[in-house]
Amino acid sequence: MTSQTQINGPARTDRPCRRPEPSLTYQPNVDILDHGAEVLFVADIPGARADGIDVTFEDGVLAVQAAVPPRELPGRPLRQEYGVGDYRRSFRLGDGFDPARISADYRRGVLTVRVPRLAAVLPRKVEVRTA
Amino acid sequence: MSLIPFRTKRSGGMETGSMATLADFRNEMNRLFEGFFSRPLTTSSWFDTIEPGQWLPTVDMSENDTQIHVRAELPGIDPKDVDVSVSEDRLVICGEKKSTAESSGEGWSHRESQYGSFSRAIPLPESVDPAQVTARYDKGVLTVELTKSPSSAARKVPVLTK
Repeated sequence: MTSQTQINGPARTDRPCRRPEPSLTYQPNVDILDHGAEVLFVADIPGARADGIDVTFEDGVLAVQAAVPPRELPGRPLRQEYGVGDYRRSFRLGDGFDPARISADYRRGVLTVRVPRLAAVLPRKVEVRTA
Repeated sequence: MSLIPFRTKRSGGMETGSMATLADFRNEMNRLFEGFFSRPLTTSSWFDTIEPGQWLPTVDMSENDTQIHVRAELPGIDPKDVDVSVSEDRLVICGEKKSTAESSGEGWSHRESQYGSFSRAIPLPESVDPAQVTARYDKGVLTVELTKSPSSAARKVPVLTK
């Protein structure tokens, strides 16, 4: 006698079966600038919705995600030289950065993330006292 | 003399020094191949010549019965630094992406964005009215809407029968 355990339960008929829409994800170009006290990540993410941008810093990894609305082409497409899709990129930074003071701003299609270094790791100038 | 520079402690896994040029080369090859496979072969973008120090923005183009829409990805540009000009059969977008004060300051940097002047002359499939063109720049995307000139609208020709 075989017993079958139903893991997922009976098939649901009240919910329409919806396939996820295929979409491409792109890695944006990012300029990285080290200014000593902070490191700047400047990412080109044109077309991204300001409310769809996600910047997280966890376990020394800075991750940037941005949702981009699908291409709306009024009429017949004649030329498509760039792809449209969400942006995603992450960087391993390691220790020495202060997650509490990270800030980001989005302007003209460019996201700038400032990651300050912890004060403890910054070079400290030592004053020399003379007798 | 060291042929392969050591990675500094602060680099945190990113390339530095002469290795940066290797990363540039790899990125450029990636971009070339991506461009090769993603661009439709029928576009005339193959014939756009790139001057050294220039870069070319990518564009989308679509049309309906009365209008032609052109979109170009131009992140980080001051709208004052872009020139859009239209003649009857082509659209020219040119300008300059300037480095900001921050990006040209001191400090080790890893640069992937392209800066400098750009210029694209896009042939239009039909003639347009240069007086009825609008351009707007939002979230790094320049959108140009051109109205087709009435003379280019298809005219239905009645077929006479005896």
